Amino acid sequence: MLEEYAKFIEEGALLELQKVAEKLKGVKVLHVNSTKLGGGVAEILYRMVPLMNELGIETHWEVIKGDLEFFKVTKKIHNLLHLPGQERLTHEDVITYMKYTYENISYVDTDPFDVVFIHDPQPLGLIVKRKRGQKWIWRCHIDVSTPDEETWKFLEMFVNGYDASIFHIPEFVREGVRIPAFVIPPSIDPLHEKNRELKEDYVSYVLNKFGIDPERPILLQVSRFDRLKDPLGVIETYRMVKKRYDCQLVLAGSFASDDPEGEEVYREVLEAKGDDPDIFVLNLPPNSHMEINALQRSATVVIQKSLREGFGLVVSEAMWKEKPVIGSNIGGIRRQVINGITGYLINSIEGAAFRIKQLLADERRRKEMGRNARERVKHSFLITRHLRDYLLVISSLVEGS
Amino acid sequence: MAEFLFRAELWTAQYTGIKVNTLASFTRALREVDEDTIYYHLYRNMFEYHFLPTDYGNSFAYWLAENGFPVLAEKFSALDLLECVCIEDMREKMLDILHSEIGGVEKICKPFYFIRAVRRTVDLGIKAKDIKEFREGVEKVGVRSLFYHLVTSRLYHGEPVNDFSRWLTEIGEKEKAEKIEKIDLMASSLYEVREKILDILSES
Repeated sequence: MLEEYAKFIEEGALLELQKVAEKLKGVKVLHVNSTKLGGGVAEILYRMVPLMNELGIETHWEVIKGDLEFFKVTKKIHNLLHLPGQERLTHEDVITYMKYTYENISYVDTDPFDVVFIHDPQPLGLIVKRKRGQKWIWRCHIDVSTPDEETWKFLEMFVNGYDASIFHIPEFVREGVRIPAFVIPPSIDPLHEKNRELKEDYVSYVLNKFGIDPERPILLQVSRFDRLKDPLGVIETYRMVKKRYDCQLVLAGSFASDDPEGEEVYREVLEAKGDDPDIFVLNLPPNSHMEINALQRSATVVIQKSLREGFGLVVSEAMWKEKPVIGSNIGGIRRQVINGITGYLINSIEGAAFRIKQLLADERRRKEMGRNARERVKHSFLITRHLRDYLLVISSLVEGS
Repeated sequence: MAEFLFRAELWTAQYTGIKVNTLASFTRALREVDEDTIYYHLYRNMFEYHFLPTDYGNSFAYWLAENGFPVLAEKFSALDLLECVCIEDMREKMLDILHSEIGGVEKICKPFYFIRAVRRTVDLGIKAKDIKEFREGVEKVGVRSLFYHLVTSRLYHGEPVNDFSRWLTEIGEKEKAEKIEKIDLMASSLYEVREKILDILSES
């Protein structure tokens, strides 16, 4: 599998990975998360685990057990950490979390491993199993900088038992975390359906399927139907651009059947679209990776006008396809887009419209930014970089002990 | 004759927990952070963006520019890492620059997060004992190895000369050594630099 990635990076970079891994021969690594399917964490582990094994580091992947009751609590914890204020963690929730944590303590065998990566808050409590000499790392994929205080207090006792934590960006680190906090951004997989090269025919087929005109400029935002992604702001932006440029807007995303807010936002977006035939609001099934890939490849300019963002890897996905991205000047987006080089960072609807018009007027600039964007992702946001970072963290913990 | 051993320096990032939002607190932190933190913000930036036409030379300069200190940003950008053989000297230079700014030091700025580089130098297992093998090595290694031998190894040796030129001089190839030392690393990407080096090594 490593060879398949070699075509995206230089031979020398592959050699570096092999050399770091050589020093870690004999170290046994375990990754633990809450699902084998769906979501960014599982997607990365699906590739990361075989790659680590191929480099000679024995690596396993375990998934904790839990039923609806447990995952309702962990979803609540996720919301309370990421976006506090909506609800509260109750005593019953804590009891449920602990009950399933103790069940998983007997279910997940962590003893044979030298290094244990625990992903996100769901399996966090497994730390009580830590044996002397082991290195446990909490890989946190969400922003916990401003959590609900009570929820954080509950989790903090587990967090501080770890040897180290890893966050996407420093802004996501909770002040006062006492253990070392590594900063490792997430990554995209160039071999995933979302990102691999597509035949022109397929791209045309997708545009045709949705009735999108391939001859006119396409502005695209890919995101869940969520107010934090500001889809209405994107429509307003498009309307400002439309006064001068005959363009189309595609808002592609999805909402889960159990997400009432998603459905509500979807309806609001449809209402805002009105009878404009050049706005395409596409509610796609969650696994429409190839369609999204095709839409990204056919876009003229990609927008990510989020008001708050986890990391926003969809930005890197578009950049990998050589698209200039107009993104909000926040969090993970500002870590991906280099203003004026790979796209533009904007702070308002007006700013977004201004930059989109500049790009629509200048094909040469779009192409140059697109090329820069791909280079940026190649060096900083591919899974091979992520793998190297993990090896360096393991190496610093194992050899430092 | 001494063999040339190709190495590469890799790094990952660790948050120091130091977050500042005024020029005054930035200056205080810069005085206190360890050398690996200064390394991260100066050298990592130079490496990460070597293939892109960026506006400023390092992340300190970007932050200064973004927060309304364009003169300081320019001065920080102009710090020549190729002449630096000691991070402490660079720290002093930066503090001197900061002390020249007298206005707005308590103005609230966007936060700056100090990050430490967790560095590791690896032996790539590629050796050269003559120009032919050396050229093959330069062709094969990654840009991180080039960056190490051309830029950061100066910090280890304490001399403002790149590793390639030092070795070439040792084996009597003074002219090639000088030509490589004269390549402007700030003006080209490391891919282009590699091509230039390969051309120089091919000259008879």
